Amino acid sequence: MSAKTLHDLAARGMATVHPDGPAISVGLGTCGIGNGADVLFDALSDAADSGPILVKKAGCFGFCAEEPLLMLYRPGKPILMFSDAKASKATKFIEAALDDKAYERIAKTARAKISRWDFRTSVLEFGTGFPSVPEWNELAFFKGQEKLVLRDSGLIDPENIEEYIAIGGYSALSKAISGMTPDQVIGEVTTARLRGRGGAGFPTGVKWKLMRQNEAPQKYIICNADEGDPGAYMNRNEIESDPHMLIEGMAIGAYAMGATKGIVYVRAEYPLAVERLTKAIADATAAGLLGDHVLGSGFSFNMEIVTGAGAFVCGEETALIASIEGKAGRPSPRPPFPAQKGYLGMPTNINNVETWCNVPVIVARGAAYFTAIGTEKSPGTKVFSLVGKVKNTGLVELPLGTPLRDIVYGMGEGAGAHKRIKAVQTGGPSGGCIPASEFDVHVDYESLAALGAIMGSGGMVVMDQDNCMVDVARYFVGFTSGESCGKCAPCREGLSQMLRILNDISRGKGTEHDLVELERLSRVIKDSSLCGLGQTASNPVQTTLKYFRDEYERHILEKRCEAGTCESLFTALCENSCPLHMNIPGYIALLNAGRIEDAFELTLRDNPLPGSMGRICHFHCQMRCRRDTLDEPVAQGEIHRYLADTMYKMGREKDVWARLAKERKPATGRSIAIIGSGPAGLSASFYLSRLGHEVTMFDSKPKAGGILRYGIPAYRLPKDMLDKELELWKRLGVKFVFNTTVGKDIAMETLRGQFDAVIIAIGAQSDRHLGVAGEDLAGVHPGYEWLEAFAQGKAAKPGRRALVIGGGNVAIDAARTLFRQDCEVTVAYRRTKADMPANAVELTGAEDEGIRFEFMLQPIEILGEHGHVKAVRFKVMRSGGIDASGRPAPVETDRTVDIPCDDVYVAVGEHVESGYLSKAGIPASRDGRVTADGITGLSTGNVWAIGDAVTGPATAAEAMGLGKRTAKAIDTVLMNRDVFRTLFKDFDHSMCVPPEPTKTAMYRARVVPPEERRGNFQEISLGYTGEQAIAEAARCLRCDIRADALGPWR
Amino acid sequence: MMSTTQTIDLTIDGTNISVPQGTTILKACSQAGITVPSLCHLEGICSNASCGMCVVEVEGAKSLVRSCVQAAAPGMKVHTTSARIMESRRTVIELLLANHPDDCLSCLRNGTCELQSIAELMGVRHRAFPRTKKPALPDRIGWGVMRDNDKCILCGRCVAVCREMQSVSAIDFVGRGVRSHIAPFMDKPLSESACVSCGQCTVVCPTGALTERDETDEVFAALYDPNLTVIVQTAPAIRASLGEALGMPAGSLVTGKMAAALRRLGFAKVFDTQFSADLTIMEEGSELLSRLSNGGTLPMLTSCSPGWISFIETFYPKLLPHLSTCKSPQQMFGSLAKTYWAQKTGTDPSKIVVVSIMPCTAKKFEAKRPEMRDAWAWWKDKGRSDAPYFDVDFALTTRELARMVRRAGIDFTNLPDEQFDNPLGASTGAATIFGTTGGVMEAALRTAYEVAVGKPLPSLELAAVRGFDGIKEATIDVGGTPLRVAVAHTLKNARVILDGIAAGTSPYAFVEIMSCPGGCIGGGGQPVAPTWLKREQRRTAIYTEDRGLPLRKSHENPEVKTLYTEFLGAPLGHVSHELLHTEYALRGV
Repeated sequence: MSAKTLHDLAARGMATVHPDGPAISVGLGTCGIGNGADVLFDALSDAADSGPILVKKAGCFGFCAEEPLLMLYRPGKPILMFSDAKASKATKFIEAALDDKAYERIAKTARAKISRWDFRTSVLEFGTGFPSVPEWNELAFFKGQEKLVLRDSGLIDPENIEEYIAIGGYSALSKAISGMTPDQVIGEVTTARLRGRGGAGFPTGVKWKLMRQNEAPQKYIICNADEGDPGAYMNRNEIESDPHMLIEGMAIGAYAMGATKGIVYVRAEYPLAVERLTKAIADATAAGLLGDHVLGSGFSFNMEIVTGAGAFVCGEETALIASIEGKAGRPSPRPPFPAQKGYLGMPTNINNVETWCNVPVIVARGAAYFTAIGTEKSPGTKVFSLVGKVKNTGLVELPLGTPLRDIVYGMGEGAGAHKRIKAVQTGGPSGGCIPASEFDVHVDYESLAALGAIMGSGGMVVMDQDNCMVDVARYFVGFTSGESCGKCAPCREGLSQMLRILNDISRGKGTEHDLVELERLSRVIKDSSLCGLGQTASNPVQTTLKYFRDEYERHILEKRCEAGTCESLFTALCENSCPLHMNIPGYIALLNAGRIEDAFELTLRDNPLPGSMGRICHFHCQMRCRRDTLDEPVAQGEIHRYLADTMYKMGREKDVWARLAKERKPATGRSIAIIGSGPAGLSASFYLSRLGHEVTMFDSKPKAGGILRYGIPAYRLPKDMLDKELELWKRLGVKFVFNTTVGKDIAMETLRGQFDAVIIAIGAQSDRHLGVAGEDLAGVHPGYEWLEAFAQGKAAKPGRRALVIGGGNVAIDAARTLFRQDCEVTVAYRRTKADMPANAVELTGAEDEGIRFEFMLQPIEILGEHGHVKAVRFKVMRSGGIDASGRPAPVETDRTVDIPCDDVYVAVGEHVESGYLSKAGIPASRDGRVTADGITGLSTGNVWAIGDAVTGPATAAEAMGLGKRTAKAIDTVLMNRDVFRTLFKDFDHSMCVPPEPTKTAMYRARVVPPEERRGNFQEISLGYTGEQAIAEAARCLRCDIRADALGPWR
Repeated sequence: MMSTTQTIDLTIDGTNISVPQGTTILKACSQAGITVPSLCHLEGICSNASCGMCVVEVEGAKSLVRSCVQAAAPGMKVHTTSARIMESRRTVIELLLANHPDDCLSCLRNGTCELQSIAELMGVRHRAFPRTKKPALPDRIGWGVMRDNDKCILCGRCVAVCREMQSVSAIDFVGRGVRSHIAPFMDKPLSESACVSCGQCTVVCPTGALTERDETDEVFAALYDPNLTVIVQTAPAIRASLGEALGMPAGSLVTGKMAAALRRLGFAKVFDTQFSADLTIMEEGSELLSRLSNGGTLPMLTSCSPGWISFIETFYPKLLPHLSTCKSPQQMFGSLAKTYWAQKTGTDPSKIVVVSIMPCTAKKFEAKRPEMRDAWAWWKDKGRSDAPYFDVDFALTTRELARMVRRAGIDFTNLPDEQFDNPLGASTGAATIFGTTGGVMEAALRTAYEVAVGKPLPSLELAAVRGFDGIKEATIDVGGTPLRVAVAHTLKNARVILDGIAAGTSPYAFVEIMSCPGGCIGGGGQPVAPTWLKREQRRTAIYTEDRGLPLRKSHENPEVKTLYTEFLGAPLGHVSHELLHTEYALRGV
């Protein structure tokens, strides 16, 4: 091979990498092909048949979420990148490549453009233009990425060696062989501080040096391409997209270490990678870049591919070597290290694909170029496969040291506003779960290890609230237990026991002692396993136990899986997501059978305010309703409202109430005080009273109901409905002490002394302030306080122009109340409409009523005149990157806007006012929330706390759920018994699978038209008719019908 | 032994200690007087590092260190006990016990089980974990070695010994994770595998997963049956190991006590396999001389080790003509007992039960080879029509005999020395040394030399064929003709000899091969957990016995002479051919 021929190859390659005519390339990695890239490619080839246009294959550009990716190039212009390119549009693309007008037209739909590209071994300027189309690295997914290993991926044809040579490929090999001694090459790699990208991060230079020192008749180098982590596919893509990069890296390594044979151990599940690498090796050999006398030098190097059946343990060097030798992949003790005695007993060096791929850049550009990227201890980049609960999945390559937050919310763009991201699993089954609270961690070897995770080969799985962390640990331990080679006892037996325990916990059979055993096993397996598989296999358990211990405890103590993953622990997802665990499929089945009274009784036993909650609930149940995947969720709440309304209308509720009163347990002699008669307190008192305890409720207001009465306007929840439902408490003998403020009228200490237990259920009703100038002006009203005053008839007549600031339910309630007071109402919110936390139905209701919304406005000053508000000055915001709430962060612009008004209602959130409790020795967090045990609700001594007082502003259902849970816990503590479940009743009902569903939208209840709503507080929703209720109930898919079906209150 | 070139210093639990470079931490600890527990380590054979019991703390190491494979390093600071180490060891043993059946009381290894004793050492007091895998079914099909995978802790010693020492590789690890187990090819029974029943796996197995087929109950039943005449023969190596199996020091020579114990157990006659060992020399020596003079197939290979016979039949069937056609001493004894002795004493041969005490599990298999019914065939020719019976009815191992002695409540250590019965009880020193590697060769040469040259060997003790070297060679000048001989023990070394023969490069006329390390003294039926030191002590006992005997050459055995005059005629004669020689079969797997 002469320099001339290499030059000729480069010239031929350049003609297709940077052609002088139009060209289209399609990313044909396995993921692209899976999304139809091959069909697209064929369609393009057919369509281009006669035209003067180059249609070519390319590797993968990494944006898995938007495959297939197509790149369109016309000379002088930037490469235009199109995502989700469908084969049906093939002719359009061909037309655009050939026709100027069509080109201009289609350019507008381009996802991004590439004006120049840094191949690291060369740079190509493609062209300029299309200012409205963002540069590729301006897209959130690519922003912050540094494509060092993926330098050619997606830009060149992986099956064409000429293109690789054209962009500077094999120049590093040539440089090394002709101009550097092996020691110099090792020196460069050492100075670059390159670390093994397979996971452990061992310094590559050191490893090479050890290998070089060992003299032997034959030395081998091996590339580990046996990527076995679930969710990881970096190596596959690197080989598929740029096989020559690997070959060049290995050839340089072979030269440096004195090896003449190279083996790529790749899993057989990667047929495309094998195919392309095979071709690349053949092409490189033909070109004199491999084989005897590489590039005419005295250096010879041959490569072969060995396909393995795929075993995770083959990530361990000694096991991998055994596998290549044709033996079972089982590790053996080190020493001897492979560098001393490896493949066939000869010195052997093993590096991961990505490690090898970094080598050509280091040699070509020098160590300093490499160390300028990344951190001091971890220079360079790392490729991650970002998968799981993020919008943008795909391969990302970033400088080491990038904060995890930037990856999850920046490149991944979060999981959306409705799902809370909980954790990221890095390093696959050997890695750990990093909780969202630690997302500021910088991704490098040491920082991840400090959190109990590892970098691993680069799998990064994002998990949200619907992922159960016990299940995550169970999954990974199941994987490692199955992949354990079975040789050493701690790993084989230990993991199998760990899996058994995790299985038990996820099936509700766990005990508290199991956590002790899990911890012991984790320690021992980590400390005494023979190889890396065992030594790291505990990581998922240890990290989930460390960061998500409450989830384990909930599974064990409450037998609940909040994420709705562990199926043995719930009847159906709706039941599971309901904070009150209402037996939703049960009452739906009873309604279907026409058994209204039974259905009502079933709802009432789970939820003592079925009529009220049926109106105002957040409907957690609907968010996990499986029917949603077909058309729309079932209106579970609307159905139990119908049941309650119907029973109350007929007066038949009295029989049920009488039953409940009659079955009240014998008096226990224990007395319980509940501070606050909102949803949480009412729920706790309902159950405690039925358990036979003497319950007294204290409230500073003149009537019971808390937020239900004083916060939620009557058009949503008519007060006679609330009054009706509260009659039940009287029947149960609950005592109410009104107009009494604890801490003022009666001391906390007194209550604690007089009662066996005290429950704090004071809610979170103190309005937050904006913290801007002018908040003290007349006409500025705290939102919730104003709603309360209005409900009590104490609010002054509002001015005509009302401005509500905020985006939650309190803001909308205030706005709609003001609308009914004949105000012109404007709601100003700092984010977009889609990002408003208010219930969607309230929002549309408000819009129907003609309430004006202004978005992206952040108040900066309240302007006044003569001591009274006259306008509010806002900063205009724009959407920035995704923040931790999963929504685009509002970012200030330099524009401001004033909105004139007569009154301002500030509804930007509430907090708990617990100062007097702290003084009485009740622990609270800095923001005022009372500290209480997450499972029992115990705060301190004989004081318990529930509801918003503990959680901060949450939903009424959640507050009631806590009340219910604590009632159970208090009864257990006071009486040392377990009778809570006897408060419930099983109703036999149909357990037949419903007929195959056909698409049917949710039935909507009739509403009062918007034009009839002004000036009155008549309830808007009229509820279901009987026909509607039955039709809606029939939509239920009955997820509860399972072989192992259980009731929710077993 | 390796010469100590360099020593290094390290501290173990705060004590300084010097060890030769390359010494494992485990060994260094042992030198420092600390026993680090291990269930998988086996000096020279198994460094699988699988059990995880031998972990120690090395200052500066991230995790615990497996002392069995990690070499001691200069300045290393080792700690052998700490909360961390103890938790780890206890947890590992509890984990191993989780999937191990709780049947110690009925286990053959009750009392000799390493798992049991380590569990006790580690203070395991309750079952910490439940089972996580399905109980495995035992493999009790063959005659020699029984497998019960349910008791297997996957230490890998058996795999190592089968592959490294015996080059048989009948078993290996199969499957992954908790499904991994030790199995013959395709999970077939051991009897359908390449296994040669040598039993080396049974002496290294730490638990009851691999054992001999225990036939003590059957033998007791026969002893208590008044209609049967139960006679016993004892192999040469038993006298050097039975004492050890019964709690005496390794190497205790207990010939007389053994005879006494057997008599107390109720055997009608206590005979000695050494009698037929002398006979073997007569036959085999004659065969060798005949081959040498008649241009027969050379080298001739000895045929007294049944594991070795299975090995050559399985792996080198083409070389079978090299095998001496002589039966092993056990089988020669059996066929003579039920013909010559039966006739001589007027005992109904079908009522004679021949029990042999062997250091060997392969002997059980050998006794049950279908062709080993020569006595029955001999009587059939004479007109008797009994149901077929074997020449040898039960081949018990040393371990089984020890069990019987204990069960019968015999105070073995304090037994008086007694003699063997006649006429099948007399023997010479040549027969005694059959029990060790090189012994058959030495015995054969003592006789063959004298037969060929007409005068005794200049020195009866042939140093060249003694010792534990894998393959020993010697050239004996037999009346001016140099006779090149070799001795190999363990089947790995046998393979080297056979490969030489197959390649046509073998220079030998006569080769002694024994399956087990050290010969029969290291047999698969011998006391468990052997070491080279113990084998050496047993060997010393054998040589001591030889040296103390008045007759040391097989052809001097008076009863053998009588046998030839009264019954056999001459070596290689017609009756010999019928009763003392056999044929071999191609086995293959």
